[in-house]
Amino acid sequence: MKGHLGADPAEFIARVRAALGRSRTEPAPPPPAVDETIARLARPSDDLVALFEKRATLVGMKVRRIKSADLTREVLAVLESVSARRVVVGVGSLPQALGLKESIRRKGIEVVDWQAAPGLDTQYDTDAGITDVHAALAETGTMICNSDAGHSRGLSLIPPVHIPLVRASDILPDMLDYWARIKGKRGRELPSSMAFITGPSKTADIEGVLITGVHGPGAVHVMLVEDA
Amino acid sequence: MNPASLPKSPPPEPKDVHVLPGPTDGSAFTGAAMGQGNITEIHDTNPLDVTLPYHMQPRVEKATHDAQLQQFVNSATLSKDRARKRICLEAFGDNYNRMRELGGRIKQHTLDHLDYYLEQFVTNAAAAGAKVHFAETTDEANGICLDIARKCGAKLCVKSKSMVTEEMHLLPKLESIGVETVETDLGEFILQLDKDAPSHIVQPMIHKDRAATARAFTRELHVEYTEDPGKLCQIARNLLRNKYRQADMGICGGNFLIADTGTVVICTNEGNGRLCTSAPRVLVAFVGIEKLVPSLEHLGVLLKLLARSATGQPLTVYNHFMTGPRRPDEHDGPEEMHIILVDNGRVKTLKEETREMLRCIRCGACLNTCPVYRKIGGHAYGSVYSGPIGAILTPMLKGLGNYPDLPHASSLCGACYEACPVKINIPKFLIQLRRDQIKQKITRWPDRLIYRVWAATLRNSLTYRLGGWMQKWMFRLQARGNGSLGRAGSDPYASRGWLSDAPGPVKSWTRERDMPTPPARSFRQWWDEHEKDKKSKEA
Ligand code: SF4
Repeated sequence: MKGHLGADPAEFIARVRAALGRSRTEPAPPPPAVDETIARLARPSDDLVALFEKRATLVGMKVRRIKSADLTREVLAVLESVSARRVVVGVGSLPQALGLKESIRRKGIEVVDWQAAPGLDTQYDTDAGITDVHAALAETGTMICNSDAGHSRGLSLIPPVHIPLVRASDILPDMLDYWARIKGKRGRELPSSMAFITGPSKTADIEGVLITGVHGPGAVHVMLVEDA
Repeated sequence: MNPASLPKSPPPEPKDVHVLPGPTDGSAFTGAAMGQGNITEIHDTNPLDVTLPYHMQPRVEKATHDAQLQQFVNSATLSKDRARKRICLEAFGDNYNRMRELGGRIKQHTLDHLDYYLEQFVTNAAAAGAKVHFAETTDEANGICLDIARKCGAKLCVKSKSMVTEEMHLLPKLESIGVETVETDLGEFILQLDKDAPSHIVQPMIHKDRAATARAFTRELHVEYTEDPGKLCQIARNLLRNKYRQADMGICGGNFLIADTGTVVICTNEGNGRLCTSAPRVLVAFVGIEKLVPSLEHLGVLLKLLARSATGQPLTVYNHFMTGPRRPDEHDGPEEMHIILVDNGRVKTLKEETREMLRCIRCGACLNTCPVYRKIGGHAYGSVYSGPIGAILTPMLKGLGNYPDLPHASSLCGACYEACPVKINIPKFLIQLRRDQIKQKITRWPDRLIYRVWAATLRNSLTYRLGGWMQKWMFRLQARGNGSLGRAGSDPYASRGWLSDAPGPVKSWTRERDMPTPPARSFRQWWDEHEKDKKSKEA
C-alpha cells in the first residue's frame, strides 16, 4: 500500500500474525453463522406498518399513517406547525412525483436549492429537511438514509425538523433483511454514507435528563404512506 | 461534602426537554474564545494523566467520602442497568444468553483471524478511496494525525467521542501546532471546558451535575448563568454548529470496522458524530484494531446488542456507516478520509491467554452493574477504561506493574460477566492477573507471605480449624477493645461485636469497612451437630 504514514502495514500485520502464533496469513474459516432463530426480531409475517409505527413512536418520533393523495397536505401542515420559512428537499421519486416542492413554494415557503453549491453550508439556516428513505426497519422503527447525488448527508441531520417520507413498501422486517438486500456490495459499491436513524437527536449527558435536538433534528415527523 | 447537607429527595426524574434552534453564526456569543476564562474549577492536568505506578487508594478514599458523587454515579448506573435487563429480556427473551454467546463468538472468531481480516479491511477501504495508516504507539498515531493536519492546513478541528484518542491525549498535541480543537459530544464538550476527563465509557460526565455545567459555561463561554439542562444544551448546540461550519478537519473514533466492505461505523445519539464526519473537508478516524467484524451481517448482531446493553435503547439513534470519502457526484462529505488503525498494547493482548478481553464493544454495561464502580466512580481507575473491563484491560494495555491495584478493584461477584453482551469472563481474568502479579513478584512480599500462609492453612483440615479458632478470638478481643461488643440499639451483631479497627496489615482493610466477628459456633461445628442430630433421629 502506498501513501501511508506511520508504521509499515506489512510489518504491523506480521506482528499481529506472530501474536496469533502464525507465520503466514491463512484465509479465515467461515465465521459463525448468524442464527436467525436467535438474532431475528421481526418477521415478514408481522404487520410491518403497525410494527414500524409502534417502534418509531416508542423512540420519540411522530408517525402519521396517510394515503399518498394526502401527502402534500400533511407535509404542509407539519411545516406550518413549526412555522417553517425555509426548507430543503431531497431528490426522490416520491417528492418528485407529487410536485412537493411546487406546493411548498406556493405556500410562500422558500425551498432552498442545496445543490447549487457544494458542501452543507446552504442547509444550516433552514427549518426543515424533507427526504425519502432508502429503506426502513420495522424491528426498531429505523430509517435508512444513504448519501448520493440527490441525497445530501445534511438533509436528515442539519435542519431542526426532519420529515422523512416512508412508503409501506420501503419497510423491511428486520435489519437482517437489509443486509441480505445489499449483500456482496463492497468498497465503492456502497454509498459513502449510510445513516440508520432511530429517533430524534438525543442526549442525557446532563444528570440523565433526556434532551432532544442537541445536534441533529429535535423532531422527526414520519409520513408513512400506506398505499405506496 | 457533608452527607447531611444533601437533599433527601431522589434526583429528578428525567423529563423531555426540546432544544429550540438559535443563531448558527455564533452571534449569541460575545465572550472570549474557549479555555481563556478565570481558573476556578478547571483541572491543571488531565485527571487520567496519572503518575505510574498508579495507586488507587487516595482517589478511592476521596470518592468514598464524596456522597454527591456516589449519588450521581449510583442513580445513573442503576437506571441504565435496569433498562438493559428489561429491554434485553423483552427483545431476546429466552435467547438473551444465546445472543450474547453469538456476539462473543463473532468477536472471538474475528480476533482469532485478525491478520486475515485486517488485510481484507485494508484492501476494501483502499478500494473505496480511504487512506489506511497503522500506528504501533500513541506517539505514532498522534504523529500521523499531526502530519495530516499540517498537510491540509487545518485551523479548526471538530471531534466526536473516541476512546482511542483519549488513550493518546491527542487534542493538546493538535493545539500545540496551532489547530483549534473542539469536542462536540455534549458531555465531552463540558469536560473540555473544565479540562476534565471522562469517567464512564458511555456517559463521560457521569460525575458532574448541572450546576458544574452551568459554572463552566459562565466561566468559559461568558453566557448568563443557567442550570436549565435544555438551555445549556441550546447554548452548546448554537456554538458547536458554528464550529462544524468552519471546521476543516473532523476526527472520530470507530465502534466497528467491517472487513469485507472497508466500512467504519460510528454509533452516536446526539448526531455530533455524523456532523463531524460529514461537514469538514478532511476526516480522520482513529480505531483500535480489535474493532473489526467480518461482515455487515455480523455487525448486525453486535448492533442489536450494543445499545440495548449500553443505555436500554433498541438501537443508537444514529449508526453512521462510512465507506470511503465523498463520491465525485456527491455534494457534501469529506474529500479525504484517513483511517488510523491503532495498536497501543492491543497486539500484545492478542496472545491466546488474554485475547478474549479484546472482544469488548465498549457498551459500559459492566460498569453500570458493578458495585465497586458505583462506589468509587471512574477516575479512581486512573485510566480511560474504568470499571470491570478497565480493571483487566488497563493492566494489559499499559503494564500490570503500572496498575498493580486494578485487578483487586473487584469483589468477584460476577455481575459484569452476566451483563457483558460478548460474554467476556472478566472475573476469570481478574484472578488470572492476580496470579500473574504473584508470579512476576509485583505483589509486595508481606502480601505474598500472607497468601502463602493462607494457602497452607486451607490445605489441611486441622490447620484450617486452628486458624478459624484463632481468628475468631483475635477478632473478638479487638471488638471488646473498641467497645462494639454488646452495643445497644438495632445492631443485630451486638452480641458478637464489630471489627472496625484491626491492627497490622489488616488496618487499611478496616479503615473503610466494619466486619462482624465470627459467630460463637462455626459452620463446621453446626454441621457436625446437625449430622449427629439427624443420625440420632434416624436411629
Ligand atoms: S466488557 Fe462487556 S460489558 Fe463491559 S464494556 Fe466491554 S462489552 Fe460492555
